Amino acid sequence: MVTALARIGDFGLFCVRVGRSTFRHRPPIARSIEEAYHIGFRSLPILLVISAFVGTNLALQGYNAFVPLGGQRLVGMFIALAGVRELAPIMVASMVAAKAGTEMASQIAVMRIQEQIDALEVMAIDPHWYLVVPRFVGICLVLPALTMISIFTLVLASYLVSVYQLGLNGPEFIQLASATTRPVDLWYCVLKAFAFGIVICLVSCYYGFTTRPGPSGVGRATNAAVVVSAVVCSLLNYVMSEILFG
Amino acid sequence: MVIDSLAGIGRFGVFSWSVATRVVTPYWEIDETARHTWEVASRCAMPVVAVVFPFGMVMALQGLSIFDLFGAQRLLSSLVSVAVFRELSPVLASTLVAAQGGSAFAAELGAMRISEELDATEIMAIDSLRTHVVPRFMAAVIAAPALNVIGCLAGITGGYVTAVWVKGQPSATYWDNLWELTHPADIYGGTFKALVFGVLIGLIACYQGYHATGGAAGVGKAVNDTVVISITTFIIVNYFLTSAMFGAITN
Repeated sequence: MVTALARIGDFGLFCVRVGRSTFRHRPPIARSIEEAYHIGFRSLPILLVISAFVGTNLALQGYNAFVPLGGQRLVGMFIALAGVRELAPIMVASMVAAKAGTEMASQIAVMRIQEQIDALEVMAIDPHWYLVVPRFVGICLVLPALTMISIFTLVLASYLVSVYQLGLNGPEFIQLASATTRPVDLWYCVLKAFAFGIVICLVSCYYGFTTRPGPSGVGRATNAAVVVSAVVCSLLNYVMSEILFG
Repeated sequence: MVIDSLAGIGRFGVFSWSVATRVVTPYWEIDETARHTWEVASRCAMPVVAVVFPFGMVMALQGLSIFDLFGAQRLLSSLVSVAVFRELSPVLASTLVAAQGGSAFAAELGAMRISEELDATEIMAIDSLRTHVVPRFMAAVIAAPALNVIGCLAGITGGYVTAVWVKGQPSATYWDNLWELTHPADIYGGTFKALVFGVLIGLIACYQGYHATGGAAGVGKAVNDTVVISITTFIIVNYFLTSAMFGAITN
């Protein structure tokens, strides 16, 4: 109990240090763009695959849920509500946590156990500024873009399933989906993506910094990073949905 | 590049076959299996509840805004149950088994591989697949359906909290429609899905760890690849399972 509280306090201090390093020095622009490229580019293929298949299943189950009502035409609307508003942002966040987040945690953890972080401090380079800030800026730049790409893929895949597998009317699907999605909904998705990006980056880097020694310590830090960021993101998702859409 | 990935698929096939033959033939490491199963299940139980519960709440929140149009709010619980039993609970429970259990298996086996403990086991004429891989594989296969049950309960409760406490729907309607409109097939189907996902996670995690190379960074990479590859694989498999099983039920 006490150790859990101590961990939370430690995490808070870590966030404060990262925040201070972000504003005290100029962020390393070139490295931030490099990180953004890595995070975005590495996560993109897997994200496309997952968005597409979540879209297909959403269409199938939405159809099954509305058939008893005779409301199967409303699949387009269901996609806009469940897919665009809810699933796409949280899905992107969990995949980026699973891919980029674990990479951050394991890279930083390996640097920690090989004492490279201590070496940075010896050279009077702030390790938070050098290691965390570029990842932080990178993930904030790229996560909203990934969310938009994922929304597009998800809607496209569910359109294809609705029209070709379930035999629904295509123009009607498009019309219902676009009537349900207000432009401001997309901005809310961007807002969610920012929040999830901040959570993922801080949690993953924190677990990397505080790893225990040895290969199993690195594995454990990587593991904890993805689970904790997924749990925090899905709790945050409900709170944000209730505030923004409730 | 192409040859490499084909060779990887072939190695994975051989690995799966060797695991499968050891699963069906004695001797079984029952104690080890129970220990790993308990470890995965107990470590995942809280995260599964913490993730599926808010998803149930979100489903109810968005579902209500659709059913409001028909004035059919009473059917809300059937939407929540379809979404949770068939899709959300199996997928999210398995995602967490992959993220917690699968990555732990890959990390443990990878650490054993690079510190040459697995080689040491082989030299002592002990079958490392039977003693170290099969118990972990079976743990994933048992834990995923078990956690799916916990996830179903959490999701339905989450939907209840939003519908009844937050949005003020009548509580009795929620439960009545839930029992009336949920087919037993939804629950068996979801559990069967979780079982299939557990098999995939177990095989992929153990394969990644068993074949890890390249020091501490290599173990980190194996852990990372395990989570990503197993989640992608079972989401793709999920589409075909849904089309095959639930497509048939409604028609």
